[in-house]
Amino acid sequence: MRVRNGVNRRWQHVPEGVRDLAPPEAARHSALAAAVRGEFQRWGYAEVRTPPVEYLETIVRGAGPGIQDHLFKIVDSGGALLVLRPEMTVPIARLAATRLLPGAAPGRPLRLCYVAEVFRGQETGRSQLRAFTQAGVELLGEGTLDADAEVIALAATCLRRAGVTDAVVHVGHLGFLDDLLAALPTDAQDDIRARLYRKEFAGIEHAIPDPSLAGLLRLLPDLHGEGALARAGPFATSARSRAALRDVEALVARLRDYGVADVVRVDLSIIRDFSYYTGVVFEAYGAGSGYPLLGGGRYDTLLDRFGADCPATGFALGLDRVLSVLPADSGAPTAVLLAADPERRPEAIQLAMELRRGGVPVLASVATDDAMLQAQQDGHRWVVRMTGEGIVLWDPRTATQRPVDRATLLAVLRAPSDDRVIEWSH
Amino acid sequence: MEPLTLAIPTGRLFAEAAALLQQLGLLTAVPRERTLVFPASNGRRVLIAKPADILTYVEQGAADAGIVGKDMLLEQERDVYELVDVGFGFCRGVVALPEAQLDRWRHPGTLLRIATKYPHITSRFFERERRPVEIVELHGSVELAPRVGLADGIVDLVMTGQTLRDNLLTEVAEVFQSSARLVVNRVSLRTKATLVQPLVEQMKSAAAAGAR
Repeated sequence: MRVRNGVNRRWQHVPEGVRDLAPPEAARHSALAAAVRGEFQRWGYAEVRTPPVEYLETIVRGAGPGIQDHLFKIVDSGGALLVLRPEMTVPIARLAATRLLPGAAPGRPLRLCYVAEVFRGQETGRSQLRAFTQAGVELLGEGTLDADAEVIALAATCLRRAGVTDAVVHVGHLGFLDDLLAALPTDAQDDIRARLYRKEFAGIEHAIPDPSLAGLLRLLPDLHGEGALARAGPFATSARSRAALRDVEALVARLRDYGVADVVRVDLSIIRDFSYYTGVVFEAYGAGSGYPLLGGGRYDTLLDRFGADCPATGFALGLDRVLSVLPADSGAPTAVLLAADPERRPEAIQLAMELRRGGVPVLASVATDDAMLQAQQDGHRWVVRMTGEGIVLWDPRTATQRPVDRATLLAVLRAPSDDRVIEWSH
Repeated sequence: MEPLTLAIPTGRLFAEAAALLQQLGLLTAVPRERTLVFPASNGRRVLIAKPADILTYVEQGAADAGIVGKDMLLEQERDVYELVDVGFGFCRGVVALPEAQLDRWRHPGTLLRIATKYPHITSRFFERERRPVEIVELHGSVELAPRVGLADGIVDLVMTGQTLRDNLLTEVAEVFQSSARLVVNRVSLRTKATLVQPLVEQMKSAAAAGAR
């Protein structure tokens, strides 16, 4: 096999912001997706799939007009504007409001989850991915702090399960600041909200006449961690802002029951990128990523935009971001390399099929002189050589070999493995 | 916790940024502008990068914080926290035209070809002004473009106005005002708060002292 290296042609590349996943990257990706999906199922969340394309109207209705500049758009044959979904919360809100909730038992919450590729039309030259995978949950129909606690605990558990050992989850509440801003004249309010959205804090205190609120905005970027609630307290002058702080305090207490309180930090400075959030919001961070690993929160008014009045909360985890902070392993190779001389090939194929039926992964190849070397390089657990003289079982870890009969071979190879991949594959 | 990495720009803001870090005790000696990574006190690192790259370093988290002109923040619109106006590097972005083109500015419907390092800011400004524009993106010596017929005018930074006068250009409109800012990565702001927050406070005090 030879690869000719010709001139640089477009057909040799993929468009900017998208990428191929080759081995072992694709396997790491799938293993993480399976681990997270498994966790979702253990908490009683049922998987949904929605189409990768939606009407532009649907996405704008859910996420607000600001989303329009960040979309991959397609003109349908009939002239309708379609977009590749930029996230999953809005499509799931559409699905739930129009199809799932009308038929559901009243008062019974829906727990939905997904693992899906989403698309953003980032400006070129930004070196950010335009297609990436999100795994997340939506808990619809429960407006309580218990629901907030459940999704936050599930988020923290997913990161732990994925192997992110140093992740912290920051939890805040949009109601705290939102209510204080609502007291401002409309012009000042719009200006301040735009600045907050851009995270532009330099000089923000000069943009408002109210000295108390100016003080809060000056303090806001540091309003997290130990004592954040106490520091925020004096600024909470309205009923709703006080309630928001009480909610956060109660939420942290509930998270102790889940055993995740040690990674949870109060953070009243969180500003999420999507406009549909209404209450408790959270983000998780880990060393090695300049972006949050996951984010989410309560969005009690989103489903109403699709015709169902229903409180909701959820989160989305960036699979690619989580992978970027995990140590790169070489992936899980096929357990057994079965190398047979051509005349023993029929027998080798039968053996391989029997092993595979028993759940043992087998790579069947033609016997070569460098099978041992290949096994050591690729990390196969066992090498089986079938030649005219019989069957030899070689252990690359100890570099020892022994002649075996078929029964012994099957017994050894079927012995349970401690490989992580086995656990993740179901 | 990893030590703090701070990015400062080469060029216009370099000398004052390095002097500020020295004044705050972060740097013991002023590094040469060509140095790329410079170890600073308490395990901190100072990274020196092109002005246009500072926000990339900070947004991605390769640097926890950075000093950058407001002009870059306006042009690039990155997802970083802009926390302090550090109080130097004041300048303005303006539209400037040669004498012969001034008449065209008086007729807002006329298409102008504008050379600039700030294509994004320029296109937003002309859109807001409802003036048609064609933008020629350049990376330096923008003021030459009208002289050689590459453009009708420019959008560029002015400090004293001397460069404009030297090139026979007249300011017709102000597009933005700029000064140096401290920016912080959104994750570092939280996970390295014990390192970031003192830096923010120090810079705020230094800026306030400079303003007096």
